[in-house]
Amino acid sequence: MTKTISRRDFLKLGGMVAGAAALGSFIPPQVAKAARDAGLIDPNGDGYIPTMCEMCVWRCGVLAKVKDGKVVKLEGNPEHPNSRGKLCARGQSGLMNTYDPDRVLHPLIRVGKRGEGKFRQASWEEALDLVAKNMLDIKQKYGPEAMLFSSTHNISQPVFENLLYGFGSPNYGTQRSLCFNAMIVANLMTYGMEEPARDYGNIKYLILTGRNLTEAISTSETSALMDLIATGAKVVYIDPRFTKTASKADEWLPIKPGTDSAFHLAMINVIINEGLYNQSFVDAFTTGFDQLSAAVTQYTPAWAEKITGISADTITRIAHEFAAAGSSALAHNGWRTSNFLNSFQTQRAITILNAIMGNWGSTLHPAAGEGAGGLGSIPQPPYPRVTAPRLDGVPWKYPFVPLKLGIFQEMRDGALKGDPYQPHGWLISRQNPVLDLPDRQKTLELFGKLDFIATIGIIMNDTEWFSDVVLPEASYLERYDPLNPVGDKAFLRQPVIDPQGEAKSALWIFKELGTRLGIGDFFAYADEKDYINQQLKPLGVNVDQIAMHGYAKFPVGEDKSEFTWNTPSGKIEIYSATLEKGGFKPLPEWQAPPELKTDEFYLITGKVGQHTQFGTHNNKLLHKYEDAPRIWMHPDAASKRGIKDWDTVEVTSEVGKITVSVHVTASIRPDCVYMNQGYGHLSKGLRTAYGVGSSSSVLHVTYTDPVSGSQALSQTFVTVKKV
Amino acid sequence: MANDTKKRYGFVIDISRCIDCRACMVACSVENTVPYNHTRIWVHDQGVKGEWPDLSRHFVPYNCMHCENPPCTEVCVSGATYKNKDNGLVLVDQDACIGCGFCVEACPYEARYIDEVRGVVDKCTGCFQRVEIGQMPACVQTCVGGSRLFGDFNDPESIVSKALKSAASVIRLDAKRPDGKSTEPNIYYVNAPAEMVNLITTDKFGQMEAKVPETSEYTISEELWKKLLIPGLGLATVAAFGVQAVFFTKQLIQGEKEFEE
Amino acid sequence: MSAHQTVPVAEQKRLRNKMYKKHNVANIITHWFNVLSWLMLLPTGIAIIASPRLGITPLWMQEWFRNMFGGTANLITFHYSVGLVWMFILLFNVFVGFRKYFVPFAFHRMLLDKDDIQWMMVKPLQMLGFKKDAPLPAQDAYNAGQKIYSYFVVLGTLGIMVSGPVMVLKNLFPPIVKQIAQPVHFLSVFMIVAWLFIHIYMGAIFPEEKEAFYSMFSGKVSAWYAKMHHAKWYWEKVQEEMDWEDEVNEKIKAESHANPESAATD
Repeated sequence: MTKTISRRDFLKLGGMVAGAAALGSFIPPQVAKAARDAGLIDPNGDGYIPTMCEMCVWRCGVLAKVKDGKVVKLEGNPEHPNSRGKLCARGQSGLMNTYDPDRVLHPLIRVGKRGEGKFRQASWEEALDLVAKNMLDIKQKYGPEAMLFSSTHNISQPVFENLLYGFGSPNYGTQRSLCFNAMIVANLMTYGMEEPARDYGNIKYLILTGRNLTEAISTSETSALMDLIATGAKVVYIDPRFTKTASKADEWLPIKPGTDSAFHLAMINVIINEGLYNQSFVDAFTTGFDQLSAAVTQYTPAWAEKITGISADTITRIAHEFAAAGSSALAHNGWRTSNFLNSFQTQRAITILNAIMGNWGSTLHPAAGEGAGGLGSIPQPPYPRVTAPRLDGVPWKYPFVPLKLGIFQEMRDGALKGDPYQPHGWLISRQNPVLDLPDRQKTLELFGKLDFIATIGIIMNDTEWFSDVVLPEASYLERYDPLNPVGDKAFLRQPVIDPQGEAKSALWIFKELGTRLGIGDFFAYADEKDYINQQLKPLGVNVDQIAMHGYAKFPVGEDKSEFTWNTPSGKIEIYSATLEKGGFKPLPEWQAPPELKTDEFYLITGKVGQHTQFGTHNNKLLHKYEDAPRIWMHPDAASKRGIKDWDTVEVTSEVGKITVSVHVTASIRPDCVYMNQGYGHLSKGLRTAYGVGSSSSVLHVTYTDPVSGSQALSQTFVTVKKV
Repeated sequence: MANDTKKRYGFVIDISRCIDCRACMVACSVENTVPYNHTRIWVHDQGVKGEWPDLSRHFVPYNCMHCENPPCTEVCVSGATYKNKDNGLVLVDQDACIGCGFCVEACPYEARYIDEVRGVVDKCTGCFQRVEIGQMPACVQTCVGGSRLFGDFNDPESIVSKALKSAASVIRLDAKRPDGKSTEPNIYYVNAPAEMVNLITTDKFGQMEAKVPETSEYTISEELWKKLLIPGLGLATVAAFGVQAVFFTKQLIQGEKEFEE
Repeated sequence: MSAHQTVPVAEQKRLRNKMYKKHNVANIITHWFNVLSWLMLLPTGIAIIASPRLGITPLWMQEWFRNMFGGTANLITFHYSVGLVWMFILLFNVFVGFRKYFVPFAFHRMLLDKDDIQWMMVKPLQMLGFKKDAPLPAQDAYNAGQKIYSYFVVLGTLGIMVSGPVMVLKNLFPPIVKQIAQPVHFLSVFMIVAWLFIHIYMGAIFPEEKEAFYSMFSGKVSAWYAKMHHAKWYWEKVQEEMDWEDEVNEKIKAESHANPESAATD
């Protein structure tokens, strides 16, 4: 047979890609001129353009395949350390994020009531003028602190922060406190850095506490874990749920929620008691070991068994195995063991466990460095003085929370209470607080109280739905962003196609807004390319020159200076005098979490490999392959309540109630129920995601860890009954 | 080799590495513009097994097996679907295919589907449009767990040949054709757990149901053909020719004269 | 048949030279158009069948045709293109172009009567050499065998015309319809082809029917042939002639009464 498969017209099939057809009267997207100039695109408009993914925080390098002016396929960039030629499901679906029919492509101004979703299209002039006017009005009437600013951390964050601080407001919300504040602060206290780097090549024994790497995917790290398992290294995985990572690990410990610190303290107890720690390392590079030694004598495996539900024999055995691996052992901090108020103690215990094994330099390294020193910065004036305290209580209530992380849920609570003052406006960028903050009712209540809300986003997500003005940002495939240093390279995000409709990059939006707010000096770049060129200046190249490969290399540094930890003592601080001075415990200790009442469950939430947080559920490619969002329940717990698989149940917490379908499975402790986060969207503008599943944020009670500001997401207890 | 094709493209899939992230499915859907209500490849979830807390769960990535003895090409009336002689991939010439779906029913692995919009049959093509320019199939390239491997089994140095040689265990999901031959699929599963003898407990979109590869059966056309038409045709032809043979012979014997007028 | 013995030679001669019109232009055109189309459709159609399990077409034929047309898709395209042209022209001829001829033609010449049935029970046996002395009822323009074959042809043609386009318009029909269309298509073709051999033999090869073959070009058969093979039709024709003669005579008589001088010429 001579004939093979016929060519297909990309646009025709199954409504899969909206493309030009769904955009109404827009001109067909043209390929970015820069790519053409760089020789990446042939005269037909076909080629591969290197850029970066933004479907999650890992920001894998991407090679975007362009044909006839449209993105047709995304591949992992083999030259990027975070992807190494692969992309996860979300990365692969990225073009559907750009071509989503529910994209916001024009500035919108609300005409109906807030939450009705009624908007009218406006010009950029009108929309930006309106936002600036409202913000300046609020500044004039109530002071700049009456304006809240929030953004999920991303590459243009420094420029967003210029808006915030240039304006003069201290009120800054990021998602960090919903994620890993406990981990960051614990590392800062112990190692003097936010997060050391892990070297999977040297690991022979790995303990994962939470950190469901096969479902909370960070492409290169997930691949590294699977490679590690193939080498025969032992992986112990601790989680109340039998996740996909549990199925790959050598051993799964179904720990009782809230007791991770007991496990790790018992590990330390065994290792110290039996002299299995790295004495020379401890003596040379740590402080406070003796105090630790005394403090952990009470944390025996037998004690831990009663608390965690993991047998003393198991704990002892694992401690022996872990210690036997010596510096090839690693206890992984995870992102978000920030699930209980005692999670800060868990994080401290984990960092100290690593320290006494002396795995520094083997499985743990100094972080690859932001490389910020190598890049140029854009000149800006000093920030104006801010006198008002932050609504989130940092640092006056929470002295150890870094300012740039903040405590998002406290900002919301403070704003709602009007304590110590009432805010009147909120500017949100690339974030969905309506869905991601715990206790959604409170967030909606706050939205009702504010005078003015503007959101910068790419799609009609829940927060956009409840805003007064929506400013359309170009998707990551359509814009330039500041450079992202990873390892020895600074990676470029460049447009693969020209932005659809009137969408614009964040850099442009921030500058336009900033200029109208009278703080244009903080945006001293002519356009996106100029911004990047200023960053590239010390490296002696410009953005057109690096467009071909998508990165610039930092010159090889010869930093032979003696490494010290950035702590007061210059060593690893097992005993933290800093914490002590702040009124907190200087050593990790057991702090018992609240107990369940009868009939209650621990509500656990987590991630799946097919979605990211609260923003991807409208992506049809991901929706196609997602599992139906249901609440997990153990068969024993289910049968006691007459609940069968796929039944609908009502789940109630102290702050809210939802109905959701049930997945009866042995993969979870009988005292726990589990939900995927990110469902239960309120925006009818998300035509694929609306009506799918229910939101766990409705149930979550706000609990803030006094040390790190972490939101204790799993400390919410619920009851479940069949409807 | 049964087919003596120049190359024998196939897959080696390491069960221990599949994490059911579904990047492969999304990549395939994009690369091959698969309709929204269909999928060419999928991951079978074996389900949670064992007694709490001694649980296990495995994931079996799946696509067209590009069998050595495909049951699907046997039933295609026009030969629109065929096994490529150069590379061993089982393909569909969609200009010739009329979308009757006999091949869809014949496949014991349910690897094919009918694209209703175009009225033709579709399936995994081994991404040969990528392979022929030196890339890996989309699913293999992006596999985060490193489970999917693709290559030429006729080449002893290929990644798949080497993977087979070094694997601790290898299984193949053979099915029987009606003619008694085994399909001899070109996907080899390595490092599969001992209990994975037969296939799957979920369908392509993850819903639980028990399934084993069914042997392919005769299609309606074939049943009718074998039982009715062919005997009928044979009989009628014999009858028609027989009658005429008699006539002709009579003619010869009795001479044309009798019939002359 | 011993008509040679019973009919005087002179009469035979007269009858052999006298021609009657049996087939009009419509029939002739349509028939040969059909033949031409089938010459293209049947071999290509058989060549398309490549299924190893059906095993109808030898491998060399499958490959030869695909090589000639450049692949399975082109072979199929050729087959259904010719098929569609054949279909439309045939239907046009029958229902639009030659409507005035085909409808009465169908009613007049295609329906079976008692003589036909009896003929069917006797003639085949006679052909095999039995029942030589049984009386054979006279046949109409088409004998019973031809009539029955025409039913097969009509049914078969309809079957082909319905099942063919179903397979061509592949995105308009659900798979099950296309699956059924295949055996329907083959069955329809088979129905016609199975008796086609007899039709060709009888029409083109069998010496007694030589005149029948030529009549498919000229449209005419001799009175002798008609009397021998299609006696009922022959007598109809004779009756027609006699009626016509009577008519003419009446006319002349009427004219002679009106005009006595010219009447003397008769």
